[in-house]
Amino acid sequence: MMIEGTQEYSLNMGPQHPSTHGVFRMVVHLDGEVVTKVEPKIGYLHRGLEKMAESRTYTQFIPYTDRLDYLAGPHNSLGYVQAVEKLMDTEVPERAEYLRIIFAELGRIASHLVMIASGSLDISGWTPWSYCFRDRERILDLFEMTAGNRMTPNYFRIGGVSQDVPEEFMPALKSFLEDMPEMIEEYYGIFFGNEIAQSRMKSVGILPKELAENLLITGANLRASGVQYDVRKAEPYGIYDRFDFEIPVLYGCDTYDRHFIRLLEIQESKKIIEQAYKDIPAGPVMTKVPKVLKPPVGKVYHRVENPKGEMGWYIVSNGSTKPARVRIRTGAFVNVQMLPEIVKGWKIQDLVTIFASMDLVLGEVDK
Amino acid sequence: MFGKGLLKGLSITIKRLYGPNLTEYYPEVKPILPSRTRSSMVLEPEKCISCGLCVNACPNQVIILTSEKDDKNKKVLQTYHMNMGRCLLCGLCTEACPTKALKLCQVYENAVYHREELLWDMMARSKQANISSGKVE
Repeated sequence: MMIEGTQEYSLNMGPQHPSTHGVFRMVVHLDGEVVTKVEPKIGYLHRGLEKMAESRTYTQFIPYTDRLDYLAGPHNSLGYVQAVEKLMDTEVPERAEYLRIIFAELGRIASHLVMIASGSLDISGWTPWSYCFRDRERILDLFEMTAGNRMTPNYFRIGGVSQDVPEEFMPALKSFLEDMPEMIEEYYGIFFGNEIAQSRMKSVGILPKELAENLLITGANLRASGVQYDVRKAEPYGIYDRFDFEIPVLYGCDTYDRHFIRLLEIQESKKIIEQAYKDIPAGPVMTKVPKVLKPPVGKVYHRVENPKGEMGWYIVSNGSTKPARVRIRTGAFVNVQMLPEIVKGWKIQDLVTIFASMDLVLGEVDK
Repeated sequence: MFGKGLLKGLSITIKRLYGPNLTEYYPEVKPILPSRTRSSMVLEPEKCISCGLCVNACPNQVIILTSEKDDKNKKVLQTYHMNMGRCLLCGLCTEACPTKALKLCQVYENAVYHREELLWDMMARSKQANISSGKVE
């Protein structure tokens, strides 16, 4: 309730603000320190990727898919190439399927590490940030030695992957997997078990289950609100049905659980990579596809579980070398709408924490 | 007990304090990047057959090349330019190159002062020793 003689204050937070994790602007309406309303303003990173896809050939668009969720490049490309393969009815060699899973899950771990790191940074925890980035660096090194680039690997191709992994990749991956339990213990000890972090995050920014379902929230944010839903299990794509892994679910619905579920998901991704590492067969990594791709007339919708949420690719082909229409459904874009609902009544310092817990990447929001 | 988690966190950082250094003293110490890293391009003009496949493979029309026919009706490369302001370094052009004349290399100090300098003359660049070797000195 406003005190007599005072008035509401509106504050522009962003687009150039360190805790908005990119170029995101919020118009925050404040009563003193208390947030009464937030209006998210998006579009500062809009590059027109859907339109770009229509003016490029199917292969030429692959480098751009890495730039959607730039913290987890491989999983975006996975969705795109699988959608085109579905349209063309192309078989992918076994080894390439396994390599795709390894890369996609490594990308998920890297993305979740950044999320945990920046979440701790937003409540002034500098040390956990450097620990997470230290370990993410090892994943990026794996990407670089195989595909040639760290954050935008451009590794997947329609019909396989661009090249086989180098000799030193598998030993490096193995040593990374062996070091992971210790890393996870460290993150827990330094961040999640810390009482200050817990008191800043627990019971803050509640997203009830019904609200999450009504707002079509997907990904880890939904699973932290007590809904056990993951596209990898609900509608397995690629070879995900061959792996034994759990879908972690938490019922706290608060900022702490939205951070903590990422740590649990890292452990599940580790399980998947270990199985893929063990089972990966030798053989070719690319199937024979024509140099000039001309998928038959038709349309396809393919969805994958991106680290930020459910990602859908709708591609319409008119039989030419370029797609007639590409529509990208990204998880982060839909997840933005939970922000105004869950920050009401919290203080402005909590707004930063709640925003960090949503794990938005503006490349994916603005496309 | 309140504060137990704080002590645990402190013990982790103290243990880490005596671990090895992870940071590099760039630019004094220059890292050696893996051989597949895509950070720059190099052309071997004598291998180029001016087929134009790289031009067609590029998503952004970065490559501009001109060629002339010699007396045997064979194409000879005249100029080869890359507009690096538009280049994604995705490597699709090198994948398309049938003679492997166009290659990726690991020169990563590519910053320039003026926009005009982003238009790389690849024939002239191929003569620079450090670029054709693909290593930063």
